[in-house]
Amino acid sequence: MITEQGVKEFLHQGGYIADDAIATAVFLALRMEKPILIEGPPGVGKTGLAKALSASLDFPLVRLQCYEGIDEGKALYDWEYGKQLLYTQLLRTQLDSYLSVSADLREAVERLSSEESLFFSRNFLVQRPILRSFLSEKRSLLLIDEIDRSDDEFEALLLECLSEFQISIPELGVIEATRRPLTILTSNGTRMISDALRRRCLYLYIGYPELDREIAIVRAKFPDLCESLARQMVEFLRKARELNLRKPPSVSETLDWAQVLSILKASQLTPEIVANTVGVIAKHQTDLQKVTDLAVRELG
Amino acid sequence: MERIIARFVGELRDCGIRVSPGESLDAVQALALTGIRGRRSTRQLLRLTLVKNVHDMPVFDAAFNRFFSRFQFPPEGDIPGLMDAAIVSMEGEFSTMNLVESHHDDEEPGPLLKLDSQIDPEDLQELKSLTEIDPDDSDGNEIVVQIKGHRELAKAPRPSRRFVQNPLTIDLSQGLPQERGIVFTAEEQASMQDVVSRMMLRLRKDMKRIKNNQNRGKLHVIKTIQKNYRHDMVPFQVALRRKRREKPRLLVLCDVSFSVSHAARFMLLLLHTLHNQLLDVRSFIFNRQLAEITDLLANLPVNELMRTIDEGDIVDLDENSSYGQVLLDFKKRFLENLRGRPAVIILGDARNNYDEAQDWVLEEIREKSRYMLWLTPEEREIWRRGDCVIDTYGAYCDKVEVVKTVEDLSLVVEDLLLDMYADQAHPLEKKRQREKEAENEQLDYRGYYSRGVTVASEPAFDPSGRSHW
Repeated sequence: MITEQGVKEFLHQGGYIADDAIATAVFLALRMEKPILIEGPPGVGKTGLAKALSASLDFPLVRLQCYEGIDEGKALYDWEYGKQLLYTQLLRTQLDSYLSVSADLREAVERLSSEESLFFSRNFLVQRPILRSFLSEKRSLLLIDEIDRSDDEFEALLLECLSEFQISIPELGVIEATRRPLTILTSNGTRMISDALRRRCLYLYIGYPELDREIAIVRAKFPDLCESLARQMVEFLRKARELNLRKPPSVSETLDWAQVLSILKASQLTPEIVANTVGVIAKHQTDLQKVTDLAVRELG
Repeated sequence: MERIIARFVGELRDCGIRVSPGESLDAVQALALTGIRGRRSTRQLLRLTLVKNVHDMPVFDAAFNRFFSRFQFPPEGDIPGLMDAAIVSMEGEFSTMNLVESHHDDEEPGPLLKLDSQIDPEDLQELKSLTEIDPDDSDGNEIVVQIKGHRELAKAPRPSRRFVQNPLTIDLSQGLPQERGIVFTAEEQASMQDVVSRMMLRLRKDMKRIKNNQNRGKLHVIKTIQKNYRHDMVPFQVALRRKRREKPRLLVLCDVSFSVSHAARFMLLLLHTLHNQLLDVRSFIFNRQLAEITDLLANLPVNELMRTIDEGDIVDLDENSSYGQVLLDFKKRFLENLRGRPAVIILGDARNNYDEAQDWVLEEIREKSRYMLWLTPEEREIWRRGDCVIDTYGAYCDKVEVVKTVEDLSLVVEDLLLDMYADQAHPLEKKRQREKEAENEQLDYRGYYSRGVTVASEPAFDPSGRSHW
């Protein structure tokens, strides 16, 4: 039996430093079998949490990247038209002999329709991510990434899947999940997600981490980076986040920067180093200037 | 435990957080799973299960602290001290309430006063002193008196005098968080977010329909073949070429003088929320000067923007608004490079402080625009009073609407956007809409405000017919 502390520890082993809120959410999601909806600014580790969980729990990761116009044919299931056509072509001779027994057309149609389910069976069903994760033998981790990019219709489509963990296919009936996957939905908040979907999920907001946790994250990823430099750069980035930048540096930028600094074998932050590597942390032209100015002010 | 959770959920609902029964069941289940192990973890747990929106989190935290402190620590021991504190705070509240009440009681239900939430007894004193200057006029109510006095004084009192002269106004308004005037509270922003997102939802649905109809161009051969591959190339589904559609442009001129500040702030908030969502918006604010704030809207958080405007950094708020000046200025600086026939919205009370109206500029703007809409926060009955020149200006506009609340505003803007989209819509769609409008004509009282009524000689405005002019 897993406890919250256990969740934290195994996430740590997977290289993900979780705070209490994240650990509690994961623990509850595992026990209550409810999806988690994670919101937060880009690059704070929403998708990273799913990846780390899949690695450390040994749940196969099934990822569904949402985009505008995604529909059930891309997310749930689809029929394999090509294969169906091929089979009818190949089986033509068999069908001829099979139907030649019948006396008239009516009987032939009846005979054929009794075998109809043959062509709408699981043989011809293409499993798209959600169905695949529902039918997987092992308990899987279903990651529905950036749900805010999809349309309202798709959100409505998810409601049944996420609350009942089942999919209704008109030709086959209701397919229930063999093992309910641990489901994680992420959103960057570019669009308001409907209350109906929110209601079915646990809601977790991941913001920018606290100072100590961010240092721990850097140290976990790059153990060879010395403690003082890690602290210095994290403190600098936290100040940069308050600059009102167009794209504030996130945890992913922190990690990129840490990697750059460890490649450059820097031992201390100086305005020159910041000026040379500013492209890693600031992603807009106006931001570049602000960050270099901050470096001169803070470190010079 | 269930009972406590249920009561807590009730408390949350009172604070405006929507919690469904299913969610409270989740909370109980979650608590049963982990057990109660302390304040922090319990709060986290309840927050995970009950709150589904970032904006609700601070409200939740406050409610949690309030609710569970009441339960866990019954006031024991230092009761007299607590009582004292309670009495002091009660008295504080009482005196504030008194003040509020008094200034509501004193307030005449005059049109100008109604708009301005910051008027207090001292202002009325000031107004009354104006009566004393001219005893003959004292039979009228304060508003008329003020206007008369205003006409006689060569120059109108500057709006900011109020603040300079009465520091009490500022103190009082700080004491009343709901009347702070310029800073938007989280709830206001949330409710605007709510209104806008509902509006966007409705708009998006309509636009999808309109867009689908727009796509009726020529056959797209390659896409059709790709689409029908699964049908053995029998073209069951046809793909059509998409017609190029221009992004609708919107141009907003917003009066930020004191007389309309209440409506202007909502307009600005709406603009801020709308910005980049759907349209190409260019926004201007004016008082006596005119300034473009498109970039500021895109880059600054809304409260900071309001503060900048309020401090008079963009346009000087110490002046009286002059629509004529502003229109001239607009013509000089911006009219030349106005592109794409935008829809123009002007928000203001058209109180020109007896300046030249310069209404011919509106004619020129109108020629370059697709649609012109004037929004005023004042009731129709008082348009003719005082220095209001809305009749002159209204004659050039496609429509003059009265907006007083956020909902009014969003409805008007939504109507406008739909009109703009419909303008580019498929002819069939247009026809359908015209028919629908004809059906609704009898029921639609908003037509009352259209310029057909204001100027008898002009033909009644028909928005759908505009493109056939």
